[in-house]
Amino acid sequence: MSLDWQQHQERGSHTSIRMMAWVAQSLGRPVARALLYPICVYFLLGSGAARRAIEQFRERVFGRPASWCDLFHHYHTFASTILDRVYFLRGRYDLFEIQVHGLDELDRELAKGRGCVILGSHLGSFEVVRAVGLSHRHIEIRILMDEQNAPLIRGLIQELNPAVAETVIQVGGAETMLHVKECLDRGGVVGIMGDRVMQDEQSVVCTFLGGEARFPTGAMRLAHVVRTPMVLFFGLYRGGNRYEVYLESFSEEVQLSHEQRATDLKQWMQRYADRLEAVCRRAPDNWFNFYEFWDDSH
Amino acid sequence: MVTSLLEQDIAKLIVQTLKLKVDPATIQSEAALFGDGLGLDSIDALELSLAISQTYGYQLKSSDPEIKAIFSSLRALAKAIEKNRTK
Repeated sequence: MSLDWQQHQERGSHTSIRMMAWVAQSLGRPVARALLYPICVYFLLGSGAARRAIEQFRERVFGRPASWCDLFHHYHTFASTILDRVYFLRGRYDLFEIQVHGLDELDRELAKGRGCVILGSHLGSFEVVRAVGLSHRHIEIRILMDEQNAPLIRGLIQELNPAVAETVIQVGGAETMLHVKECLDRGGVVGIMGDRVMQDEQSVVCTFLGGEARFPTGAMRLAHVVRTPMVLFFGLYRGGNRYEVYLESFSEEVQLSHEQRATDLKQWMQRYADRLEAVCRRAPDNWFNFYEFWDDSH
Repeated sequence: MVTSLLEQDIAKLIVQTLKLKVDPATIQSEAALFGDGLGLDSIDALELSLAISQTYGYQLKSSDPEIKAIFSSLRALAKAIEKNRTK
C-alpha cells in the first residue's frame, strides 16, 4: 500500500553514492553514464520489490507484461535522473538541453504577488525545477522534503551545494508550514510532492491508472489555507541529455467548503491524479514510485 | 494544573479554527497539541497561527528560536501570546 515506500531504505550505501558523485564530477557524465549499466543490472537483480513495482506499473499502462529489456530501460531512466541530480545541484545546467513549457503560466500566477505552490511528483526529476529559477533569477524557490526518510540524499545535497540545502524545508515539525507561508508571502515558490503519502499524513483514495491509490491531501489543504495559486510541475527525462519541463496552471485558489470538506478534497485530488495519469501515459518510463502504489495491488 | 482564562480562550480558538469535534474544555494545558496529542499537523499549525495573528495581533515566525517550544502545548502557546500580543 501507499505507505510502503517508507519501509524501503534508500538503496545504495553511503559509500557508493559518494563514489558516484565523485565519478560524476571528476570523470564526467559520459563515464558516469557508462557505469550506470552495471549498476542498473545489479539493482534490478538485487531488488525484487522495485522490480515488481515497475512490472505492475507497466502492466497497468501497457496492458501486457514487461520484458527484461523494458525493466532495464525503466530502471536506467531512474538511475540517469539520480545521476543528473548531481549536476543540477552543482548548477551545471549547461550540460543539458532543457525545454521548458508553460513558463508563461507560472509567470502569470506569480504576477498576482501571492507566491505560488508548485505541485510535483515522482514522475521524472523534481530537481530540474531549479532550472526554472535559473531563467528567473529573482524567484525564491524552496522545496519541502522529507529528509528524515532520505538521509543519504540530504547529505549529498549538503555536500554538493550547501546554498541549495538551505532552501530545503524539512517536513515533520509543527512550524514547517510557517516556513512555507513566509516564502509565499515574499512572492516565492514552494515545491511540494503530490504523490506520496508520508507517515501520519491525511490522504484520500483516488482512481489512478485503473486502480485505487492513496494520494496525500496536504498540498490542497495548504493551498486552501494560504490562498495561493497552484501550478503543476512535470520534469520528464527524455534520454541523452534532454529534459522536458511542463508547468501547468492548476488552480487559482483551492476552496474547500466547511460542510463537505472531505468531498471537496477528494475532487481536487482526483483532478490532480487525472493530470498525473495523463502525463504518466506520455512518459511511462519516468514513473519512479518503486513500491506498492495501489491499494488493490495485493 | 488550573487552566487560565487565556488558555481557555485559545482552546476555543483552536477548536473553532480547525473545526475540531472536541470540547475545548477537554484540551489539557500541558498535553501535546501536535503529533500524538490532539493529532494536529503543521498545516493545522499554520491555520492556527493565522487565527492567532488576527485575534491577538501576534505573528508567529519560523525564525523564532523558541518556535518548537511555543507549539508544544496550550500552556506554552498561551505564554507566548501573553508576552507578544498587541490586541
